[in-house]
Amino acid sequence: MGDKPMLPGETGVYLVMAIISLLSVVAVYMAVKTRDLVKAVIYSALQSGLYSILYFLLLAPDIGLVYIPVAVGLIPGVLLVLISKTERWEKE
Amino acid sequence: MEAVNTYLLSVTLASLLVNFAISLYAMFFKPHYVKKVIALTILGDTVNTFAIYIGYRRWVEQRPPRVPVLTDLRPEAIEEFKNLAVDPLPQALVLTAIVIGLAVILFLVFLGWILYSHYRTLDMREIKRLKG
Amino acid sequence: MRLVEVIVLISTVLAVALLITVGFEHLVPSERVRPVAEFYLNATYNQYELRNYTAMSPEAVTAIVWDFRGLDTLFETSVFYLALIAGLALTRGLLLERAEKSGHGLSIIVRTVTRITAPMIVAVGASIGLHGHLTPGGGFQGGSVIAVLPMVVIVVFSASFLVIKGVTTTKLLVVRSLGLTGIGLTAIAVFLVGITLHMPAYVFQNMAKPDAQISMPYSVAGALISGTLWFFNIFEMFAVAAGFSIAFIALMLARTLESSRGE
Repeated sequence: MGDKPMLPGETGVYLVMAIISLLSVVAVYMAVKTRDLVKAVIYSALQSGLYSILYFLLLAPDIGLVYIPVAVGLIPGVLLVLISKTERWEKE
Repeated sequence: MEAVNTYLLSVTLASLLVNFAISLYAMFFKPHYVKKVIALTILGDTVNTFAIYIGYRRWVEQRPPRVPVLTDLRPEAIEEFKNLAVDPLPQALVLTAIVIGLAVILFLVFLGWILYSHYRTLDMREIKRLKG
Repeated sequence: MRLVEVIVLISTVLAVALLITVGFEHLVPSERVRPVAEFYLNATYNQYELRNYTAMSPEAVTAIVWDFRGLDTLFETSVFYLALIAGLALTRGLLLERAEKSGHGLSIIVRTVTRITAPMIVAVGASIGLHGHLTPGGGFQGGSVIAVLPMVVIVVFSASFLVIKGVTTTKLLVVRSLGLTGIGLTAIAVFLVGITLHMPAYVFQNMAKPDAQISMPYSVAGALISGTLWFFNIFEMFAVAAGFSIAFIALMLARTLESSRGE
């Protein structure tokens, strides 16, 4: 009893939020940087997944429920269809 | 500890700002159409996340904030709910924005496909040079 | 090289965060929410003090979406369908729904798993939509979960699989129109009752107001349905799911301009 935990729960939640948003910055940068459009779509889906975790941590389950099918499933799907019907590589 | 908490919350805010800047740059300066559409989705998501972030509330006296869904229908519970739940208004506004965003992206995908069948390329510099 | 870029990026973020902490602390969320949010949280299910302002729904987000700001959502729904129709108008003359088998799709394992999971996707979507006034969820969420199904089916089986099974864009258009009509009728339901009974009532009214004493029943046989919210959710779910399914089928089946000119 009376043991103080290493990290207060409040700081822990904020720390996880900060780490996830830092990872999303890296994902966005990679999505913009790469020349392969399929990879760009996959990095953008990774960013969407990280954002949906962020929504659950920000206590917005409604947004999470609509965001996961839309931004992780449907938008990469239609963009991959467009890429398969057109071209894959972005020229220099 | 208060300053550390504020700093960690600021990291989330700063990441959103940097994401906004990167996607705005990509929308203007990347030549490929699909890359522009991807940047537009990231831009929209970032703005939506920013709205949700504004509606968040800090822990009140070591008690975690709550989802804006009432689970206990007694009057005392409603008072506690009012003092702990996060702001539901940005969530309600963002909800429809995401669905409209998907409809707009579908329109842009159709448009890109028509563009490709006219010009045989989706590179904006080429399309500018070909001019129909 | 890559690592250096990532380190520069992350240190930029951390520096900007330090700047925000020092200079703009009011941008970071505080322990209090805005007064309007407190009003919504207090009124969302409150039959004790705010009987004339409550939406009788434990879910504050759905209450705002379809009751407190219902008119906003009605016009946002119309914006959403305008964008969808603009996309479909681009495929005009290119869409060809032929019920012929093309390709075999993916392997038998994938196809069997899809056959098992397809009803589950619909069940989860319907559950999210129908319980939208009690738990997180609602018409938009349920509809977009169900809209994943045609995408998966088209990828796993083949582009014309849905047409062979009888799911054509015309039928989906009928479902979508029924959903939209349902939303419109629910919006004016209380108003029509008011006209019939010669009592004052508003368009988009849910619960009784001080000067309009008609209200939708908020529970049926002991089950809480929150008046109009349940109907709005179910109709919106049908409309969203059918609208997105039309767009995917059109995207997958549309031909290129050249091949349509060639015939």
